[in-house]
Amino acid sequence: MASVKVAVRVRPMNRREKDLEAKFIIQMEKSKTTITNLKIPEGGTGDSGRERTKTFTYDFSFYSADTKSPDYVSQEMVFKTLGTDVVKSAFEGYNACVFAYGQTGSGKSYTMMGDSGDSGLIPRICEGLFSRINETTRWDEASFRTEVSYLEIYNERVRDLLRRKSSKTFNLRVREHPKEGPYVEDLSKHLVQNYGDVEELMDAGNINRTTAATGMNDVSSRSHAIFTIKFTQAKFDSEMPCETVSKIHLVDLAGSERADATGATGVRLKEGGNINKSLVTLGNVISALADLSQDAANPLVKKKPVFVPYRDSVLTWLLKDSLGGNSKTIMIASKNFKFFFFSIQCFV
Amino acid sequence: MADAPWAEIREKFQAALALSRVELHKNPEKEPYKSKYSARALLEEVKALLGPAPEDEDERPQGDDSLGAGDHALGLPAELVEAEGPVAQGAVRRAVIEFHLGVNHIDTEELSAGEEHLVKCLRLLRKYRLSHDCVSLYIQAQNNLGILWSEREEIETAQAYLESSEALYNQYMKEIGSPPLDPTEHFLPEEEKLAEQERSKRFEKVYTHNLYYLAQVYQHLEMFEKAAHYCHSTLKRQLEHNAYHPMEWAINAATLSQFYINKQCFMEARHCLSAANVIFGQTGKIRTTEDTTEAEGDVPELYHQRKGEIARCWIKYCLTLMQNAQLSMQDNIGELDLDKQSELRALRKKELDEEESVRKKAVQFGTGELCDAISAVEEKVSYLRPSDFEEARELFLMGQHYVFEAKEFFQIDGYVTDHIEVVQDHSALFKVLAFFETDMERRCKMHKRRIAMLEPLIVDLNPQYYLLVNRQIQFEVAHAYYDMMDLKIAIADKLRDPDSHIVKKINSLNKSALKYYQLFLDSLRDPNKVFPEHIGEDVLRPAMLAKFRVARLYGKIITADPKKELENLATSLEHYKFIVDYCEKHPEAAQEIEVELELSKEMVSLLPTKMERFRTKMSLT
Repeated sequence: MASVKVAVRVRPMNRREKDLEAKFIIQMEKSKTTITNLKIPEGGTGDSGRERTKTFTYDFSFYSADTKSPDYVSQEMVFKTLGTDVVKSAFEGYNACVFAYGQTGSGKSYTMMGDSGDSGLIPRICEGLFSRINETTRWDEASFRTEVSYLEIYNERVRDLLRRKSSKTFNLRVREHPKEGPYVEDLSKHLVQNYGDVEELMDAGNINRTTAATGMNDVSSRSHAIFTIKFTQAKFDSEMPCETVSKIHLVDLAGSERADATGATGVRLKEGGNINKSLVTLGNVISALADLSQDAANPLVKKKPVFVPYRDSVLTWLLKDSLGGNSKTIMIASKNFKFFFFSIQCFV
Repeated sequence: MADAPWAEIREKFQAALALSRVELHKNPEKEPYKSKYSARALLEEVKALLGPAPEDEDERPQGDDSLGAGDHALGLPAELVEAEGPVAQGAVRRAVIEFHLGVNHIDTEELSAGEEHLVKCLRLLRKYRLSHDCVSLYIQAQNNLGILWSEREEIETAQAYLESSEALYNQYMKEIGSPPLDPTEHFLPEEEKLAEQERSKRFEKVYTHNLYYLAQVYQHLEMFEKAAHYCHSTLKRQLEHNAYHPMEWAINAATLSQFYINKQCFMEARHCLSAANVIFGQTGKIRTTEDTTEAEGDVPELYHQRKGEIARCWIKYCLTLMQNAQLSMQDNIGELDLDKQSELRALRKKELDEEESVRKKAVQFGTGELCDAISAVEEKVSYLRPSDFEEARELFLMGQHYVFEAKEFFQIDGYVTDHIEVVQDHSALFKVLAFFETDMERRCKMHKRRIAMLEPLIVDLNPQYYLLVNRQIQFEVAHAYYDMMDLKIAIADKLRDPDSHIVKKINSLNKSALKYYQLFLDSLRDPNKVFPEHIGEDVLRPAMLAKFRVARLYGKIITADPKKELENLATSLEHYKFIVDYCEKHPEAAQEIEVELELSKEMVSLLPTKMERFRTKMSLT
């Protein structure tokens, strides 16, 4: 079924961090990433039993902190590792999903979009897609239609980022159609012929995004954004015309690990012992309790024993077609940790 | 203390409070905490104006003073010391400032500084914590420390603080009881002080939050029953203090019922569901003190959605209760066992005897009118496992009622997955009712209803998007036909002369079952139509079951044509062989279908002989 890959990438320190003489505390080896908590003395366990180093294993750990290092992973390499699969799966009729996750300042944009002269994952995926389209059409093997849409999920409401100013921009309904699958009602679709078209639309959409306060102590509400490329291929399969549709979702996840003041982030918190202050989140706590038996080992034979009303995550709901069934899902996490008295100690 | 500075102190404090309440997004974009820092500055000024803290002569810092929660955690009650006199009053005022500074620092993510201030607050108040003037502030300071420690992921420490607050509240209510001073009142002039009713309201709100925080702590500690109990208490208190929004409350109660269903606590589940119905009915009619969390424009749609969701919770109640009964009464081939039925009936008497004591221990929602309204709903449905068809039918009918209600909102166009789940539940209701039904023809009819409601769904579904659901339905429809076929065979066996009509019927059902099992198995093939070498873990058991049943089905086709019979037996054997071979190559599969594997092995050894005899017989004629 779904194949999920998780990658983490660390970026170089920026000027601000260098000025503050921040220490670099990440090490990577093959797929393992190790973080060192400098607050805990070496050889000791600190005053609350916490370890000095913690190691996490991912499918890929991309070290991009030092361009001179032999282990340096470039944009091209990130694309080769993760992006080519996405292009391939689109042509094979599968859906793919690329999530980018990380706090503001963690280097997410660089990885996903890149900057001039050093394009990121998304432009490269698009280039890959379009160049293969051009090649295939040149040989008259198939015809293609590429459409994009761009939406934002903010406080569990869906907004079309590419819609002209009309009254229906906020809170589009998310529905399921028997034939079309999950979709957003009235979400605009735009035909594109090349990456230039894609970039233009992305830029236009980004301007419309709900602005969040910047700075490390950002507590304002956050939004997720999903850029979807719908890819339709019409070809002949042993004389029979057939059409395959695949979707690539590029998801920019809101960067907070904590519930914000209203308790609704769209990402269900499962880890961490944080207590939610507001009674508004009572429902989430109860839902989690009711959910306890739901991870049925075999959803085909044993269906869900109880019903837990759908609380949050318009995001998961929308990406259901990518998260289950025929899909490949890739998640890139840009790490951005904070230790208490290193108030701006960050590294990615 | 002279009046002039006191007025100034009061004003600064009020200004600081006002700034603390400014919503963060109202601050300039690059300075999200501006209002907080301004509030902090004012608080520091007030602190300076109050003068140095009175010397704590008789309070030496304790060993584990940093916790401060020690006493109550050890079960030691507080001693009442009134905060009277200038020294005590000075300490209390200082404590209020420390409290607000603490919360301020926490709000700006400076946890250590926050902790320092809060601990100072506790130290200043410690002696007077049980008093009317201080108890609320002490509890709030502890609660905030509890939250702080949870952010550091030190859950046990958080637990200690919160439990200490809980104990202190209970002790205060038991020994003193009068609504205590609200912490804001220490800086209010006499004429602005709050009325008893308001004080009580605020204090109770603090405690409700205390319980809610504890619920979360227990959840993280995986003490789930306790967590549920505390959620239950939180809900109860929301009702008692009229601090709830009906739709939200109702859906929370309905969701909590699902937790209880999982634990097979059906009385509690029924109570939650009944309360949900009653409170949901208050939507739009009753004015409560809490603000709505849903945007006004969405209310009509959300109303119908919540109604549908509560209905679905009820469906699960009815279904699970029936299935539970089936589990305790079925024999090893899934039929009703009369001995077990008697056992269940005997157990029933015991359950009824204990009913009152169980009810007393459980958390009950509401008093008076509300209680009556909830009871009225409860009386319509049993919480006991049904022991016969009549009782099962009652639950079935209730479940079916809620199926129709759920389908009103969860229509297929728009809510495909949800709609199908509701239909699957409807089918499951029929299936479990069939267990209680003694007449075989009527049982057949029930399975027929199931097929009628499930079959049409597959036609319209796009298999790419609804892969899992498609498979579920194919599998279930196949099994329904399979069960129907077995029933018809049993009916035919009872007849002296099974006529051609019933034979035709049996074969037709067989064919349909085969069709759907085959469809299901085909869905496992890759884009090149090749059946996987290695079957994925999530479809392994159903795939093997499907193969097994296909094998059995081929063996059950009734035909007068010996050549056909031989062919069918050969196909049957092929499928049994597949199972045996696959399990040998993949031992994990063997574990999934132990029973079927054994039977398959038997058939693999028996069938060739049977087929040989057949061939011999054929050649002789």
